[in-house]
Order: sequence, then C-alpha cells, then structure tokens
Amino acid sequence: MSWLQRLFSRKRAENDLDRELRFHFESQVADKISSGISESEARRLTRLEFGGIDQIKEDCRESRGSQWLESIVQDVRYGLRQLRKSPGFTLTVVVTLALGIGANTSIFTLVHSVLERSLPVNDPSRLYRVGDQGTCCYFDGFESDNGDFDLFPYDLYLELRHSSPEFEQLAALQAGGSSLSVRSGSSAAKPLRSEFVSGNYFATLGVGVYAGRPLMPSDDKTGAASVLVLSYPAWQSDFAGDPRIIGSTVYVQTHPFTVVGVAPPGFFGDRIIESPPDFWLPLANEPIIEGAGTSLWPQGDEDTAWLYLLGRVTPQTNIAALQAKLTVKLRQWMSAHVTYTAHGGAAQIPRQHVVLVPGGGGIQRLQQQTGKGLRMLMILSSVVLLIACANIANLLLARGLTRRAELSVRMALGAARARIICQILTQSMLLGLIGGTAGVAVAYSLSHMILALAFPQARNMPVQASPSLPVVGFALLVSLLTGTLFGTAPVWLSSQAKAVETLHGANRSAGNRSSLAQKVLVILQVGLSIVLLSGAFLMARSLANLEHQNFGIETANRYVLRFDPQGSGYTAERLPVLYRQIEDRFSALPSVINVSLARYTPLDGNEWGTCIVQQGHPAPGPGDKCFSSWVRVSNRFLQSIGVPIVRGRNFSAQDSQASTPVVLVNQSFARYFFPNQDPLGKHFGLVSPKNSRAFEIAGVFADFKMGDPRREVTPLFLRPLSQQYLGYTDPEAVSSEKSSMFVGSIIIQFANSQQNAEATIRQALAEIDPNLTLFYFSSYESQVARNFNQDRLIARLTSLFGGLALTLASVGLYGVVSFLVARRTSEIGIRMAMGATRASVVSMVLRGAFWQVLVGTALGIPAALYAGHLMSSMLYRVSGYDPLAYTGGAVALGICAAIAGFIPARRAASIDPMLALREE
Amino acid sequence: MPIYLLLSKRACVIIHVGNQKVEAMKEKTDVRQGTLGLMVLKTLDVLGPLHGYGIARRIEQISGDLLAVNQGTLYPVLLKLEQEGAIASEWGASENNRRARFYRLTRAGHKQLEVETRGWEQTTAIIARFFEVKAEDLS
Repeated sequence: MSWLQRLFSRKRAENDLDRELRFHFESQVADKISSGISESEARRLTRLEFGGIDQIKEDCRESRGSQWLESIVQDVRYGLRQLRKSPGFTLTVVVTLALGIGANTSIFTLVHSVLERSLPVNDPSRLYRVGDQGTCCYFDGFESDNGDFDLFPYDLYLELRHSSPEFEQLAALQAGGSSLSVRSGSSAAKPLRSEFVSGNYFATLGVGVYAGRPLMPSDDKTGAASVLVLSYPAWQSDFAGDPRIIGSTVYVQTHPFTVVGVAPPGFFGDRIIESPPDFWLPLANEPIIEGAGTSLWPQGDEDTAWLYLLGRVTPQTNIAALQAKLTVKLRQWMSAHVTYTAHGGAAQIPRQHVVLVPGGGGIQRLQQQTGKGLRMLMILSSVVLLIACANIANLLLARGLTRRAELSVRMALGAARARIICQILTQSMLLGLIGGTAGVAVAYSLSHMILALAFPQARNMPVQASPSLPVVGFALLVSLLTGTLFGTAPVWLSSQAKAVETLHGANRSAGNRSSLAQKVLVILQVGLSIVLLSGAFLMARSLANLEHQNFGIETANRYVLRFDPQGSGYTAERLPVLYRQIEDRFSALPSVINVSLARYTPLDGNEWGTCIVQQGHPAPGPGDKCFSSWVRVSNRFLQSIGVPIVRGRNFSAQDSQASTPVVLVNQSFARYFFPNQDPLGKHFGLVSPKNSRAFEIAGVFADFKMGDPRREVTPLFLRPLSQQYLGYTDPEAVSSEKSSMFVGSIIIQFANSQQNAEATIRQALAEIDPNLTLFYFSSYESQVARNFNQDRLIARLTSLFGGLALTLASVGLYGVVSFLVARRTSEIGIRMAMGATRASVVSMVLRGAFWQVLVGTALGIPAALYAGHLMSSMLYRVSGYDPLAYTGGAVALGICAAIAGFIPARRAASIDPMLALREE
Repeated sequence: MPIYLLLSKRACVIIHVGNQKVEAMKEKTDVRQGTLGLMVLKTLDVLGPLHGYGIARRIEQISGDLLAVNQGTLYPVLLKLEQEGAIASEWGASENNRRARFYRLTRAGHKQLEVETRGWEQTTAIIARFFEVKAEDLS
C-alpha cells in the first residue's frame, strides 16, 4: 500500500487496529481466567500490564508512516471548525487581511504594469533612447535651461543616424501625436490616433506584423506611396477585424492611404499612454497631411524639433562613449545653424548635450508624470498593510492568551507541544489563505477602479488591471508571517510555563506584562494611522483648493464640442461660411444665450504659444522670456465663458479683414509686457522684429486659467476669426497663420440646465453638414474636472487608505481594551464590590486606552510632519505642515479611539460583582 | 508510603496515595531493541500463521518466560514488517472462535529471515570468541 492509499483507508486501518488490540486484550484476560484468577481481577491486571491503549495506537500510527499527512488533514479540519466557532474573530481577520493585501496588491500591480514594464518588443535591453525627458513641446531653439536635448529636428536625426554606426538601427518617432479623421468605404469618418515614424521603426523595435507587412525604409522616401500600418485593437474595433483591409485604401484627412499591415496584438507602440496610436505612418507622408505646415525638412523648417529618437545598439556598445559622440555631433550641427547661433545663442551651444537612457521601457513620459503619485500610493498602501499586520498580530495574540488555559489542560493530558504549535500554525495559515484569496478579489476590482478613475478617456490602453502574482504572493507571505509569528508566540511561551501554574491562575490577573506587546502594537497602529490620516487631509485639502479655485471662467450650463473641419474636407476659403452657419444654427436653438468658436478652449489641455516681439524692441535672445499663449476665437468668445473686459473694448463686427488687426490681451500679458504702461493702442508681432507692428491691443480682459490649472495665469492674447494677417513673407509663418484659421471647438451657453443637450447639438451639427463628425462632447464642468483626474484619484485613495487605517486602529484598540476588560472581570468585580462607582470603572478602563492613543499620537505627529514634507511638491496651496490637517487627523483618531474604548469600558462598568466573583 | 497534602484556594484536599503499581512476580527483561522483528519472523517461520497475541505468548514461551513482549512494541513492529513486505496479514477465526488478525511469513520474509539469521550467527560467533579469549592465546 502506498502512503496515499493508506491515507484514504485510514478509517479502516484505525478500526482494524482497534479490533486487533481488543482481541489481544481479551485473549490475555481469558488466559488469566483459565489460570484461575477471577474475571474482574484478570481484567484489572491485564489493564495494568497493557498500559495506555491509546499510547500503543499512537505508536502504531507513527509506524504507519503517513501520520504527518493525517495530522495535517486533522489540523486543517480542526482549524476550520475553530474558525467557524468564532465567526467574529475570523471575519475581522479575513477582512483586515483582504483589505491590506488588496490595497497593496492593486497599487503594486499598477506600479508594476506602468513603471516597470518593458515594451513588448524583441530584446528590449538593447534599445536606447537619445534624450531622457518627456518634453512634449518647447519654444526657442534651446530646449531646456540645463542644455538637455530630447526633441530632434528631422535634419539632425538624419545626421545622427548616418554618423553613428553604433546603432544597428536608429528610429525617429513623432513626439506628439494627434487625432486624424479616417474614413474607409462609405462609413462616416472616425477620429483615430496617429503617429509618424521613420521607416525603420518596426525593424528597430524588432516587431513584425500580424498581417500584411510592416513599414519599411522604402516607404519613408519622398515620393513613395502613402501607406500606413494599423494597430491590432484599432483593426478589431474600427475595421471589424476584416482581413480585406490589407491593400485597401482609407482616407486620412481626406488623403488616400493604403493599409499595408496590421501590427501584432500585444504591440502598443513605443510608450504607454492613455490612447496609443491606432495607426503608424511614415515620416515622409507627413507633408501630405500637414501641407505647407509640415515639420519635415526639407519642405519644412530644418530646425523644427518634433521627433524622439529610439535606437537599437549593436552588442558591446560603450554607451558613455556613444553619448559623448552624439553630444559632439549635436553641437557641430547647431553651430552650422543660424537659429542657434543668432542673438548670442552661440555661447549656449557648448552646454547643449544629449543623455542616453535605456529605452526598453519606451518613452517614459507617462511614467515621469505619474511616477511620483504612484510611488506615494505605494508607500501609503504599505503602511496600510503594516497596520493590518499589527491588527492581526493583536487579535491572534489576544486569542492565544485566552486559549492558554485550554492549551495547558491539553498539555497536562499529554498532548505534544509540537503538535499543538502545529495546530495553531495551521490555523494561522488557513486564515492567511482565506484572507489572501479575498485580497486578490479586492485587488482585482480595486485596480480596475483605479485605472478607470485615473484614465477615463483611455482607449485600448496597454495597462492591465490583473494583479501580478509575485505581488499577491509577497503580500500573502507578509501577512502569513505576521499571523504565524504572533499566533504561535503566546502558545510557545505558555507551553514553557508549568501547566499547573497556568491552570491555577493564568486567566485571573489584574493587568499583566503579556499585554505589553498588545499595547505596543496599538501604539504602532495609532502612530501610523495619524500619518495616513494627516496625509489624507492634506491631499483632500489640496484637491479642494484645486477644484474650487477661481478659474476666472463661468462653466454653468455651458457645453464644449469639437469637430475637425480640415479632416472633413473644408478648405480655408469655405471656412467663413461654415463658421457663420454654425453660429446661426446653434444660436437658433431654444434657450441658447451664447455661441462661440475657438481654436482651443480654456482648460481643455491644449495650448498654442509663440514668442512675441513688441514694437521697437530688438529680437529676443535665448534667455529672454518672450512667450505668450494665444487663441484664435470668434467675437463672442469672452461672453460665452463669462470673462469681463477690464479696459478698452471687446471684438466687434467692425473688426474685419479691412480694418486694423486687433488683439485682446489678458491682465497678466499687460502686466508682464507693459509694466506701468497703458497697453491700449500698443503694437506687437510674432517671432521676428520685422512683424512687430502687426497687431494693435484693443482691450484687456480679466485673467482666467487657460492651460495648467496648477500654475499661475500666464500671458495670453486673443485674435479674431475675422482677421487673417497677410503681412508674412516667410512661407512657414504664412502656412501657420493659415492653419490657425481652422478652429475646432464650439462653446454653447444655455440659459438653464439642459436634459439632452448632446442629442440636440449632434442633430444641429448634422443639419449644417452631415460630414462634420462630432469628435468630443462634454459639459464645461466635466471638462474642467477632467484636469484633476489624477489628483482626485490620489486624494480618494489617500482618504481610502486613511479611513482603512483609522478603522483598523480602532478595531485594534477595541480588541485590546475588551480583552483586558474580560481578563480583569473579577478584579473589576471586587473593585465594585468594595464600592467603586461605574463612572470610576469607566474612567479607569478609558485611562488605559487614552495612554496608548496619546503615546501613539505623540510618535505619529513627527512622522506625519516628515511625510507632509515629502508630499509638499504634490500639494496645491496647502503647506506640507498645514496645522489643520494634523489637528484633523488627531481629532478623527481621538473620536474613533474614544468610541472604541468606551464600548468595552461600559461593558466593564456593567459587570455584576456577584457574578464576576462567582465566575471563578 | 508518603502522603502529600495540597491546599488549594478551592479549600478542598487532594490526598496523593502514592504509586499503586503492583510489582511483577518475576524479573523479566524487555526485548532488546531491533531483535523483536527477527524473533517475530522466526516464530512465524516455525509455527506458521499466528495472531499478534499468539506471537507475543510464543516469544515469551520460547524465551522461557525471560522476555516480556510489550504490546506497545509488538504492534508497531508488526506494522513495520508488514509494510516492508516481510509478513502479510489476514483476518481469520482464532482458537476460541473470535475474529483475529493472522500474520504469516512471505517469500521476502523468508529471505530476510535467512539473511538476518546469518548475520546474528556471525555476530554471536565473534562475540563468543571475545568472551573466550585469554591473554596467553594472543601471545
């Protein structure tokens, strides 16, 4: 029989053994009787000779060899029975574990899948990126104050590629990326995300295709056919996974392109972003889409930097040497270009450099943006796990102590100490396993929730919410270890003591040292909770400051929609008619007060900016701050967002192509460029002194936040839709001016709140032109709120963790106080019998709890201050040492602790002295 | 016989009356460690199938009642031998018609018995030589 069979035939083996031993016994008795001894005496003697039958059985079981397994099965059953017998304890531990493990696992899962993720490409370790920052846009030839270069012009890319054979392949990819209208067959145009890449992009990453062929260097040549490669998710969702799409023609911004391939299913491009590219186009096709506004040299400017560089180095490349070499190349190239040398720029060139960073994780822009918040959440969730562990330790400790009498009896009856410890261990493991399973479920739903909250606009985002196994394992291990350690320690200790002593009086005591460990644990919990609670208060206040700040605009009953006239085939000449139709049609809708058009709307995340040159001023040098944002708007723009004119006049119907080109500037613009002067009537132009007479300031409007709501208001000016400046000679400026006439946003203000504004607006737009696709529709409130998605998420999670910590600490305190009260029942009974009042009993119990909370708070506050100091860069208009947050944290904890202590204290006070004394 | 008086807080008295164990009639030795298995095998070899009680009695009988076979030692040894495949067991009727478990020697048990017998003979022969040895024999 194998030991496994023996395990299952255990019952039979036990029966057989029992019968065999009984037979032996009876035979021995029979022999004695036959030798003339009376039956009762014979039995007595036999029993004496025999010794303990159970002892014999145990010896036999041991030699059966499957005892260890049998006893594990037994222990598991026993453990489950025990847990079922005390559902309150079990539930508390399981919920604590589930929340601790769940919170941790979900955060670590996110960190793992966002921060530590490699691109799904071939051999990512040999990928290196030239440049290390997530710079998306810049103005001025030099990109940063320290000379770090991240964005590259096409011409420079070619130069670097040709001069560095250390790169097996060096690819260039568009730093930005935009939504383009894509139409296939007769269906309506859809906005799809695009990315221009060099022809060797797929070869550099070592990525093939799912169907068709990848982009190739031959596609990336002037005059090559227009082609694109679709992403797998886009192919599935927008082209119904139709294999006939390969080789067919689709229209991108009305230009025909041939689909040559579909990328592999897991491939999401070169970086993790909310909406990864739906298709990739060769850089050479960029002028087809952008027309005269192209950034691609030689048609475009040779110094327009718009590309990130990602390369695959040959094995054994010396990265430091390569970095130095590229830096030298960069400086040489700059020295040959007047953009960089003019106006004192030449002195800056020696400081310019590139940094090579491992590119296996792709472009780390999202990682740099979210890394800080994620790491903070990681720390917070670890603290929650720590508190949870302390709680479990406390519960198990208390339980172990109350079971001391039971264990002593069992040991006195001959149970082996190892066996008892084994049972307790099994029980802790069971708890851990149940809690861990629940924790995985919590982690799964929590990561989903976090992702949905953090990236609500995500479309095919390559971040999975499934908890990673190593993380679950780690959290489980930590809690199991705590459980085991604290579950077993009291048993071990009590097993050292003489059983008799424990039987005499372990359960009767007036305060004792074994509860010291429990008190320390409670103090630890209180301290950590204070840290989390103050953090939560800080984040909540920061979020409230962000959300309820004065943005300077009115949002009530206003809606924003976006469409793409260029992608729908409109030419510049047809625009004025279209705009007038839009204004007329929407104004005619019931209860509409204002309709305006704008290139960008405040707080929609986009901005356009340029260097301005005042009339009579020289061209600004590299260090001069000449930057101002600007927006092309229709005449009623300021009314539609409720911004008043503070000086001068608003745009009017008189501002036409024939009249003086006018602009409106905000107060910051006036303060910054015209300090202590009247800005009205002043002139300025863009980029170069020769245009500096171009625009005349007609009015000043009140400051409002256009771009980043965390920053102070920056200079901004508005130009009317009715005036296109025709004085430019430089072709790039001409085309840029022309493209600024394409505005894609409409703001509609209603007199009252609307039920189904979207349907009404959609219909109105379709009535103007069925080809106009609505890309985006949102109430103005939610457009503003979207700016704070991540702040809100972090604040909510911090509050969640703070709340968790508070609950756990309260439960821990409650547990310890009730445990002490239960152990001191007889003492309290005697006190009351001797005349102690109920109030004095309550205060005696509360005093004990109060000390623990006080010590915990005293230790927690400095730790919280330090945490606040670390968090200060993430706070908006709240100091990291905000006294309100710390008071709030302490008060919240104090209230909960008072409740947690008062319940058992009241129980203590209601002890009946007679019953308590009789309990002995 | 010592008498201990223990006072507990429960105010009742526990009187310890000493060891009640009855002295055995005859001085018996326990079976030497490791030899019981061999005795079991030899007994079964000579007498054919026997139940546990029978084995115990026979061993005591053969030893001239100098050995006492403790049940607590016998049954674990029987189990072990059975697991090793040296003996096999089945249920049958005893002399007085009760159901008892009978053990018999298997082929492997025969072989094991032979091997162990030879080993013991060798050991006893060697030990015997040592007991007989005198100083002059070695000079």
